Amino acid sequence: MSTLFPRASALLVAFGVLIAVASGCAVTDGGYGYEGGGLGVGYYEPYGAVYGGWAPGYQVAPFRGGDMRGRGGGGGGQHAFRPAGVSRSMPSIPSGSRSGGHGRR
Amino acid sequence: MPPRYGSHPATGSRPVLRRGVLAGLIGLAGVTSATAAPLRFPPLLDPAVPDRHPGKVIFVELVTPDLAAARRFYAGLFGWTFRDVPGDGPAYAEALIDGRPVAGLVNRPFAASEHRQPAWLSFIAARDVDATTQTALQNGAKLLSAARDHPDIGRRSVLSDPQGAVFAILGSSSGDPPDMLAAPGAWIWSSLITRDPDTGAAFYQTLFGYEVFELPAAPGVEHLLLASDGYARASINPLPADQPGAHPHWLNFIRVDDAVKAAAQAVALGGRMLVGPRLDRHGGKVAVVADPAGAPFGLLEWPDTESKEVPK
Repeated sequence: MSTLFPRASALLVAFGVLIAVASGCAVTDGGYGYEGGGLGVGYYEPYGAVYGGWAPGYQVAPFRGGDMRGRGGGGGGQHAFRPAGVSRSMPSIPSGSRSGGHGRR
Repeated sequence: MPPRYGSHPATGSRPVLRRGVLAGLIGLAGVTSATAAPLRFPPLLDPAVPDRHPGKVIFVELVTPDLAAARRFYAGLFGWTFRDVPGDGPAYAEALIDGRPVAGLVNRPFAASEHRQPAWLSFIAARDVDATTQTALQNGAKLLSAARDHPDIGRRSVLSDPQGAVFAILGSSSGDPPDMLAAPGAWIWSSLITRDPDTGAAFYQTLFGYEVFELPAAPGVEHLLLASDGYARASINPLPADQPGAHPHWLNFIRVDDAVKAAAQAVALGGRMLVGPRLDRHGGKVAVVADPAGAPFGLLEWPDTESKEVPK
């Protein structure tokens, strides 16, 4: 009798630990952008990362529609990427307004 | 004679019973945990649409140490409302603007000593998440989270590109949001700030088939634009040379009517100014701020009218 309990308890402990570990890894994942991996338990940038420091002339925005001011080379020079053809006009962001029917209400 | 394992010289088998009960409770806890309902993320679109826009940033997510504080901040700044996503994982809130989903926020507390830097994660649309992930890996990306299905949302993977910027690939099971002008308070633009824009553009072009345009910039500086479906999707800019602590990253922008006012309000709500409002090539102002937990994001004016200032 007394030798059965240690075996049973050991099995139960092992079972519990196994389930707990499995659930910690795969079931209670929060957010579908992470689950651990190389960045730990979530998506974080390296601590102390510096943002900003943009010099004058540092521009990030898109052009407005139909605006071709200062179109870049588009094929000039050597690049690792395939440049858009020079005949291609500079695209902008979508300009249409929502007509409803998309998204959730 | 020493007592046998599991017994007690004075009380016989009672400690063994206690251990058995304890083990049973541990096992029960494990089973309970294993059968707990995972978070059930809502679909991006309802009703679903057949449209696909590979290369478009279609969702963003933030892991934050104080979800309540984040809700107050983004509600105060953009008028976002929130809906709790049920499940037994960490608290998760879906952010909405005018009833439309704009983001997901996850609560994940951490101690200050853990030295974590929260950031928004960009999900880029792909037709085939597995194939795109495989292509990314073959071109030098690092896999942070393997492709997996999430009911209602779709399939996704998380990677860092060859230069270290983290992004996610998402195959939305309800289709991709339509190409329309973002409303104020919604995400309108994305920028990849990286060490080498040229090879960065080549990497993402291989994955998503972007058209790549060169933008005018100062001599020796490369500003690029990624486009798909005939629309601009993102810019690629170099990391500022004099910022040794800078790290390649994606930066997403929210449309605002007035970047100066919005940036000031972000600071008043506990955020931090990272790049003060400045005129950009589209004739409106942009700014970069961080939320109270330090997650950076951009503010971008996009007037409805054609009137604009011209950057000098």
